[in-house]
Amino acid sequence: MKIGTMLKDVIESFFKKNATQLYPIERTPTPERFRGNLQYNPAACTGCCLCVKDCPSKAIELVTLDRAAKRFVLKYHMDRCVYCGQCAINCRFKCMGMSNTDWEHASLNKEEFTIYYGKDEDIEQLLANLAKPAAESIVK
Amino acid sequence: MNIEQLLAQAEQLLAPWNKETIHPESNRLDVVIIADDLRAAVNALHDAHWGYLSAITGLDLGPASAQMEALYHFCSGLAITSLRVRLPHDNASLPSIADILPPASFFEREMQEMLGFKFSGLNISERLFLPDDWPEDVYPMRANFTLDQAAPVAGRHADELPEQGVVGGNTFVIPIGPQHPALKEPGHFEFTVDGEIVTAARMRLGYAHRGIEKAAESRNWIQNLYLFERVCGICSHTHALAYSLGVEKLAQVEAPPRAQAIRELVAGLERVHSHLLWLGVAAHEAGFDTLFMYSWRDRETVMNLLEQITGNRVNYSANLLGGVKCDIGPEQAKAIKEGLNYLETRIRHYLEVVTTDVMFLNRTRGIGTISYDEAVKFGLLGPTARASGLVRDVRVEAPYGAYTHFPVSAVTETNGDLEARCEVRLKELLVSCFTMRTIVDNLPEGPLTVRMPRKIPAGETVSRIEAPRGELFYFIKSNGGETPARVHIRTPSLCNWVSVLEKAVGRQLADIPMLIAGMDPCFSCNDRVVTLKRPGSNENWSWKQLREYGIEYYKR
Repeated sequence: MKIGTMLKDVIESFFKKNATQLYPIERTPTPERFRGNLQYNPAACTGCCLCVKDCPSKAIELVTLDRAAKRFVLKYHMDRCVYCGQCAINCRFKCMGMSNTDWEHASLNKEEFTIYYGKDEDIEQLLANLAKPAAESIVK
Repeated sequence: MNIEQLLAQAEQLLAPWNKETIHPESNRLDVVIIADDLRAAVNALHDAHWGYLSAITGLDLGPASAQMEALYHFCSGLAITSLRVRLPHDNASLPSIADILPPASFFEREMQEMLGFKFSGLNISERLFLPDDWPEDVYPMRANFTLDQAAPVAGRHADELPEQGVVGGNTFVIPIGPQHPALKEPGHFEFTVDGEIVTAARMRLGYAHRGIEKAAESRNWIQNLYLFERVCGICSHTHALAYSLGVEKLAQVEAPPRAQAIRELVAGLERVHSHLLWLGVAAHEAGFDTLFMYSWRDRETVMNLLEQITGNRVNYSANLLGGVKCDIGPEQAKAIKEGLNYLETRIRHYLEVVTTDVMFLNRTRGIGTISYDEAVKFGLLGPTARASGLVRDVRVEAPYGAYTHFPVSAVTETNGDLEARCEVRLKELLVSCFTMRTIVDNLPEGPLTVRMPRKIPAGETVSRIEAPRGELFYFIKSNGGETPARVHIRTPSLCNWVSVLEKAVGRQLADIPMLIAGMDPCFSCNDRVVTLKRPGSNENWSWKQLREYGIEYYKR
């Protein structure tokens, strides 16, 4: 039976630097394997949609504008994503990956949580199509 | 005894009521019986001390057959005997076995609400998971359930608290939760107190019930891996592992040895993280916040290791069906070893603190003592059982995955009080650290994954693994499609609640937070309700005495 068994730890801590960090002023780099936002490269994609099929939270939609010309747009709902990385595992052509630097997600509006990946003109075309009445939409 | 002998013994014990014998897997025996013989059959296994009741699974066999099935799983080492009772939908009535095996009452109440089984002799109609405004006679786990049936019904409410908590005379009811500063997760407790002595304890959970078992039926096998990982935020790897092992067994695929070893390694790190978290919570409940702060600071070491290996701090997603995602390279191996060296010295230090610190011992020594016999009777699991000398550790009793190559030894204590539960958990971590170092040094070479079919062959399997809190039980049934037909989960916290409620009666109210923390409850794992009412003892102060003392005290 003793008294003050943790006293030594407390005294030692006076001479150590803080265990906590003044984020965002101080930052520790995230580990290499850290799973942040999904990254997508349409050039390598074949449009097989295996990533979409196994996504546990329905966070990705792949829109094929022209399969032969590799015109794909990936609509990524990062607010639904659970960052499991299954899509990147499923992709046989390595066109997907999880970033270890892009992970600070705070935003003031919800629109920023939907990210479109693809060539700029393809995204523009898709958004223009979406703005038209539903009957003309090419989604799916 | 080996598996064959155990199963032969069970078959012999059950012979008088046996209508049909099935051997679904090499370690399992299914005996079909009729409902009237159930109590006799359970008694036969119980009297012969054949294993323990691990779970009861309810199955709806579909609208075509209009039948349901109840499976009583008894486990002894690797051998599993299941009693199967088949009943029609409209008259699914079974005798309750809760008086023979107390933990069965939770399982029976779950089936009563989710599938509409009726248990004669259970006599508890209070809701368990479902909200109070859920309509009568609508059972969410039945195959023909549709969402529009679940329209809320007005007028049905839980027992209202008596005015100002006075039940009569000197007895008060103290409600705690569901949202309360002392609780880290939502749960509701009502302690009836006479003075400061608890005379009855009642609890209601279900505030974090998410219907995961039902949701699993509409997702494919791979999506479900991530769904089950989210059953619990602390033992996420264990849930995903139990599910993966079960599905791999159904598909007759075995993960490569390297993957198995990495799974055990991550499970070990998770155990360190879980137990250190628990130590902090227990210390906090005891008012020892210094221990709480320092143990949580050190827990960051293992969290960072997990993040470095798997890519995430909490939902690691290390598992895949048929293997693992993350490899252990030289860089990770070095980090793990350095981390373990530091953690080991800290764990030894904490072990010394919890066994020698006067203040902490006043809150733990001789409190909530559970004897070996009580532990067996209540069906306790994991460290809570091991603190009472009962060896319930699936890693030792029924080794799975890499535990056959990298075995662990079971740590037991005999005192059964809160101090013993602290000691068991910390000593267990030292064993885990040793095993993890062995794994890192002797990691088998080879691939990380094997190919898994998208459609899993029809069949049923049981997957049991040791979570940080005790045995985790998964029952998985496939109809041969891309989605599972039924996944039933029984989490360890559910079985351990009995210990808290039984032990609360007769203790002082101030001991309750420690008692609850002592079993390391995980609310999001198990959302269930239990009621236990007992006449109280008067060994300490009554309300009258306490009042008189108070008046006298303030007169001075």
